[in-house]
Amino acid sequence: MKEFFHLDFMDNKELLTVVLVIFGILIFASVLFFVVGKLKPQANLSELKSRTRSWWVMATMVLAATLISTNISYIATALLSFTAFRELYSVLGFRESDRRAIFWAYVSIPIQYYLAYIGWYGAFIIFIPIVMFLFLPLRLVLKGNTDGIIKSMSSLQWILMLTVFGLSHMAYLLSLPELPGFSSGGRGLLLFLVFLTEINDVMQFTWGKLLGKHKIVPKVSPNKTWEGFVGGIISTTIIGYFLGFLTPLSDYQVLLISFMIAVSGFVGDIVMSSVKRDIGVKDMSTAIPGHGGILDRIDSLAYTTPVFFHLVYYIAY
Amino acid sequence: MQRLVLLIVYRLIMRLFLRVIVGVRFSKSDFLASEKQFIIVANHNSHLDTMTLLASLPGKILHKVKPVAAADHFGKTKLKTALSNYFVNTLLIQRKRDKENPENDPINKMIKALDAGYSLILFPEGTRGTPEVQQPLKPGVAFVLLERPDVKYVPAYMKGMGKAMPKDDNLIVPHSSSLVYGRPTLINSGDVAEIMEQIEQDLNVLKES
Repeated sequence: MKEFFHLDFMDNKELLTVVLVIFGILIFASVLFFVVGKLKPQANLSELKSRTRSWWVMATMVLAATLISTNISYIATALLSFTAFRELYSVLGFRESDRRAIFWAYVSIPIQYYLAYIGWYGAFIIFIPIVMFLFLPLRLVLKGNTDGIIKSMSSLQWILMLTVFGLSHMAYLLSLPELPGFSSGGRGLLLFLVFLTEINDVMQFTWGKLLGKHKIVPKVSPNKTWEGFVGGIISTTIIGYFLGFLTPLSDYQVLLISFMIAVSGFVGDIVMSSVKRDIGVKDMSTAIPGHGGILDRIDSLAYTTPVFFHLVYYIAY
Repeated sequence: MQRLVLLIVYRLIMRLFLRVIVGVRFSKSDFLASEKQFIIVANHNSHLDTMTLLASLPGKILHKVKPVAAADHFGKTKLKTALSNYFVNTLLIQRKRDKENPENDPINKMIKALDAGYSLILFPEGTRGTPEVQQPLKPGVAFVLLERPDVKYVPAYMKGMGKAMPKDDNLIVPHSSSLVYGRPTLINSGDVAEIMEQIEQDLNVLKES
């Protein structure tokens, strides 16, 4: 039992601080929208309110999955990959003859996360980019239907890279070896990554709403502006600096990594926007009220995770 | 006993499995509990359809709802019949009408089940067919509704199931799917063709939603 529920984050000052900060922000947002709603009843806050409600649920789930037990974290991140994979492939229109290959792509998810769990870095890093990359086309070829096979081969691999390979780096953060004098460990890094990515989304959104004028990629996402982009990067980098205690990095390194999270988060966001535009949907699904599907929420995370992991891995490990 | 087994199998296991693994989104079904009796009329693409409909039902009425299934498929052997009847709570009928033997006549059997207080689940397409393609509806449901005009029918539409588990393939490959219910409706016509047209229209409305 102790293996599953070691609530030692209570004794860890760094982790506890972040938990308090996160709930502080949520309480602040809820109170703010409640008060503004009372003062200005004509303002339409229903979307912001439902978004905030969903943030409460998501924050609680992420914190529970990260802090209650590392074993649960591996399972939770694998489930996240699984759900994101299913959501994305379901809207991309695969052929009926792709079903066997898709099945094997599903099978690769627990394997990839198991490799992260046992910390076998060499296998973890090649399993999807090489093993699955070579195997899935073979499975498609054996089925024999060549009509549209190029599209199936390439989009299946792309979905796997984005939703499984990329996100599985979150799990590997937890398997990184302990560093002397760095107490929050993989859980600290994971919280830093997720918190900063989501804060970056919120900051880009907020600055864009407040000051946004000059569109940055009007054909892909008309709501993205230079003002939101720059404002988001600056705020995220500053917030990241103050959360540096969750990482084993020096001040300059934290600034660089926070900056990189902000930029890659933005890229993930517009990449997914372009995909949605191509298939003609606004949201991937309706799983999270106010946000859309799982992928609408973690599109930026799919980009920030591998970037963050490999920067930290290169600098500190 | 069967009631408890059905509750555990569908409300607990199936619902969790369909939600988390297959990726089914259920629409609200509480309103069914306040209906005395009804016939769910659904499109049919996959073996998952019956499972999904049963898993969506309020626990209180689950044991009172019988999916209507073809005897030639689900009643092939005595064992299969017993299993279907116990674990899926099916009402097995033959596909063809039999006016000489009222005991075997499918319409008669359904009416008898209604009179015994059961609600029914019907797939008027008859068979699962190609994924995501609706086939012409068979008029059996209209005959039943004409005989018992105070029973409401409830249209239900499922998307994506035929991709998760199509006909001729027993491998489930999770695919986002959904189940939406329409409103319980009384028939307002005495003509079989008009009733079927109304039902088809209701299903199409749900399909577009």
